[in-house]
Amino acid sequence: MNESSSGRADAAGPPPRVRVTAPRPGGGAASARPSLPHGGGPTSDIAGVYVRSLIRSQLRLAVVFAIGFAVATALFVLAIALVPALDSSFVFGVPASWLLLGAGVYPLALTVAGLYVRAAARNEARYRSLTEAE
Amino acid sequence: MNPVIGYVAIAAVALASALIGFYGLRVSRTTSDFYVASRTVRPWWNASAIGGEYLSAASFLGIAGLILLQGSGGLWFPIGYTAGYLMLLLFVAAPLRRSGAYTIPDFTEARLESTSARRVTSTLVIVIGWFYIVPQLQGAALTVRITTGLPSWVGSVAVAVLVAVIVAAGGMRSITFVQAFQFWLKLTAIAVPVVALLLIVGGGEPPAQLTPAEAFPPAAGPGDLDVYRTVSLMVALLLGTLGLPHVLVRFYTNPDGVAARRTTVIVLALLSVFYLFPTAFGLLGRAFAPDLAAPGEADALILLLPGRLVPGIWGELLTALVIAGAFGAFLSTSSGLVVSLAGVISQDLLGGSVRGFRIAAVASSLIPLLVALTTESAGLAGSVGLVFAFTASTLCPILILGIWWRGLTARGAVAGMLTGGVLSGVAILGGPVLSAALPALRPFLEQPAAWTVPVAVLVTVLVSRGDHRGVPRGTDAFLTRLHVPEARR
Repeated sequence: MNESSSGRADAAGPPPRVRVTAPRPGGGAASARPSLPHGGGPTSDIAGVYVRSLIRSQLRLAVVFAIGFAVATALFVLAIALVPALDSSFVFGVPASWLLLGAGVYPLALTVAGLYVRAAARNEARYRSLTEAE
Repeated sequence: MNPVIGYVAIAAVALASALIGFYGLRVSRTTSDFYVASRTVRPWWNASAIGGEYLSAASFLGIAGLILLQGSGGLWFPIGYTAGYLMLLLFVAAPLRRSGAYTIPDFTEARLESTSARRVTSTLVIVIGWFYIVPQLQGAALTVRITTGLPSWVGSVAVAVLVAVIVAAGGMRSITFVQAFQFWLKLTAIAVPVVALLLIVGGGEPPAQLTPAEAFPPAAGPGDLDVYRTVSLMVALLLGTLGLPHVLVRFYTNPDGVAARRTTVIVLALLSVFYLFPTAFGLLGRAFAPDLAAPGEADALILLLPGRLVPGIWGELLTALVIAGAFGAFLSTSSGLVVSLAGVISQDLLGGSVRGFRIAAVASSLIPLLVALTTESAGLAGSVGLVFAFTASTLCPILILGIWWRGLTARGAVAGMLTGGVLSGVAILGGPVLSAALPALRPFLEQPAAWTVPVAVLVTVLVSRGDHRGVPRGTDAFLTRLHVPEARR
């Protein structure tokens, strides 16, 4: 099955097969991991500043999108609840209010997800360009 | 109902799952193959597998039953189940993949450099997994009883044994393909009957048993919203998804953090499509089968409606299809949970060997079976909702704070997990007794997440702040690994 899925791989080719091992007490988890841009390693000051600002901007992004989704959903539900005409207008024998609540939140969640992925990748690209410019 | 349809459908799904499982066995050789499929799984495969694993008895049978029983209150369950993946995408997906750990206990230990935090996390993961498997086995009992007339216990035993055998034989590499298959099976098994029923009902024959105004009264509609219960349910479902052990383990099989995000978005899309169908079933049930609206019986709506509305052989074929889908749901969720539980148990107790994994797989199937055989189902969607509330109060705060807050310490994490676990555990298990004594507390005990999650987070933060030992030495390096994008190849 692995062979067949690599067979129809795109131009980039299948990701290389990496051996991974369980972390042992005392040692960190082992995996192929990104190396820091500087020879100074993780403790190097300027690298630390870049990383902290990356974490801050990613957290801000996630919180803004989460709150945005919650507020949009709440407004949507409030709108449905406040228009009683939706309860009495039937589409295929089902009140419009039920159909809206039953199907309306999914497109909203998908939109938020799509926008977030692009924004998060932009933050990472900015981090890359900062660290690679050194 | 003709029992032959039930036997044939159940046997076909069991056989197909076992065949794919054993086919996978041939390419599953090393320990890392067993645990996380050597991290070569592509986003579409992975997303299908996550969907296959996630869509449980609660999704396949429970949602329609709840809409039939409660009205539009039931519509919130699929919304929460889906939007949980949005929260997972925003807060967890990419960093967790980059952490390089196999399981949530591995993550806790690597982040907090503490074996006691690891032990508490492992215990919680095992408890959550067991309580999540129980409703699957109860769903299997219901399906077997309704469709074949055999005693209920046969269904629970059959699923538990099958899952133990498949997981112990193949590990996760094969399970990924089984699960991906299961998603498309479940989608087909619910979409085809819904489309067929809508076409038939649209022709006006048979007529609905209730008029639209009777079937969808405004008192059960979206306008009549219990704000506290809805908000609390949403907190439980949105945040509970983050901590589900069988969901998280699958993120480790993505090649990198960016692929983990892409996988999550695909999952969100797959679930959004899937959940339209049980919703449609529930709405059809309100108009065409109002007599099924009784606790314990409503969950059988999806199994019974095709046979009622479509006469003859076509009705029987549609019934066979939904039985196959339902059985697929029990099998896939239980096996996903057993894989992740076996991973945790074998690493913590049995040395992380392939043999230990197999022993642990058998043990994690049999213990929930004992619980399922000795308890009664109180509604599938409801019991799974309570597991989400427990997960949201225990593992979710540790994951989110561990990924985003530098100040988290092992003591804070342990205190927070214990607080959240005790509060939500007492509310869930002691709820019926306590709310009989203090009726005013009933909604807070039946939907505890809205207060247990904030309390757990608060305790975690306060104890971490007061921890004189300070944050673990490797914190900065670990956070760097979580958030810095992988080197470009």
